[in-house]
Amino acid sequence: MAHFRLILLSLACSALLPVYGEDTVDLKNAIRVDSLTIPSPGEVMAALNKVAKPGWQSEYRAPIPTLYSSRAQIALNIGGLVADGYIALEAEDSQQIKNIGKDIITLSKSLAVSESVVARGKSIMDFAENNEWNALKEELESTQNEVKLALIQQKDSDLVYLVTLGGWIRGTAVVSNWIANNYTPEAAAILRQPGIVNFIREEMRQLPEKIQADPLVRTIADKLVEIEALVSFPSGKPPTQEEVQRLRDITSKLVEEISKKKE
Amino acid sequence: MIRLILILSLLLSALPTFGESKEHPDRLAECRSQVLQLAGAFANDGFKVRDSRFESDLAPNTPALIQVNLYAGNQYWFVAAATDASKKLRVSVYDEKGHPVKYEPYSDGNKAAAGFAPTISGPYYVQVQEESGAPASFCLIYCYK
Repeated sequence: MAHFRLILLSLACSALLPVYGEDTVDLKNAIRVDSLTIPSPGEVMAALNKVAKPGWQSEYRAPIPTLYSSRAQIALNIGGLVADGYIALEAEDSQQIKNIGKDIITLSKSLAVSESVVARGKSIMDFAENNEWNALKEELESTQNEVKLALIQQKDSDLVYLVTLGGWIRGTAVVSNWIANNYTPEAAAILRQPGIVNFIREEMRQLPEKIQADPLVRTIADKLVEIEALVSFPSGKPPTQEEVQRLRDITSKLVEEISKKKE
Repeated sequence: MIRLILILSLLLSALPTFGESKEHPDRLAECRSQVLQLAGAFANDGFKVRDSRFESDLAPNTPALIQVNLYAGNQYWFVAAATDASKKLRVSVYDEKGHPVKYEPYSDGNKAAAGFAPTISGPYYVQVQEESGAPASFCLIYCYK
């Protein structure tokens, strides 16, 4: 405990002395990794909470099917459900979180990665039961990582990336929908994320041909071209309400496509 | 606080490792433990510790540069710890063009952190640099609020 106090004291002191880095760095050697380069859905929601008071419950969607034949589609939907979990968390809605936790477990079972995820799912239920919101924030990302870990162990690592992608699309759809309906330039400026979409598109090009040929994955890849243009605005020039609406329309349509059960 | 650290330790220990390190697993585990201990101080201040980490090797004069994508209005702390071979670690932050930005530094031997509050959403770069010591491995995580 004394050690922590020392750390806190040092941090408090250092906070008084902000510094600049020394030299410009060469970006060509920069590393981009799924784990840190793509933010969690909770981060964009936290940013929106700083400039507005969104009614997160209004961003819920109807329960999605939990039976799909395409493994790529299952992975995308698990990511989307994790993003739904963050929305319910912002709304502090324990029943909704429990429902989402159950759906994540069901979908994970169809990927045969359920064993470790079931344990996480149970933790989600317990934390939701006790309204432990901070612990739930940790647990949601942990659950997503547990799915990814299980996929890696099953030598299905190509699907890992689709879990992240599904979460990012759902998170962007929700935030852009709220901003489109409650437009301010300040809120719209949050949507500036050229680095994420550029990284996503590069990663999609690395996917095996079989996954790239999946009609749903192909649709997402096509739409990302326009999404990249919409979130790559200059830093001092936030998108107009019409541009945010366009972003909302594209990402919401993708969310629908991802969750739609194919005949 | 102890409960919080235990939860963080359990969560992070179960994570898939992104990045590569040639370091012995025991030393990496110690590295993770140290990074969590430091991050625990931020969690106590309301920061949410991301449940993802990056690990890699490091040598003096060969810093690692990692792209992150941040949101205006949020506050971030980037926290790193290196294995014992590293004697002085430093974490710094750069904008999307590679220019240095104003950040809050923290350094304590082989542990370091950088606090940053972006006013513009977009890509940024976190540099982990070994200022003295022998080749080592490091673990990087971040927290936000």
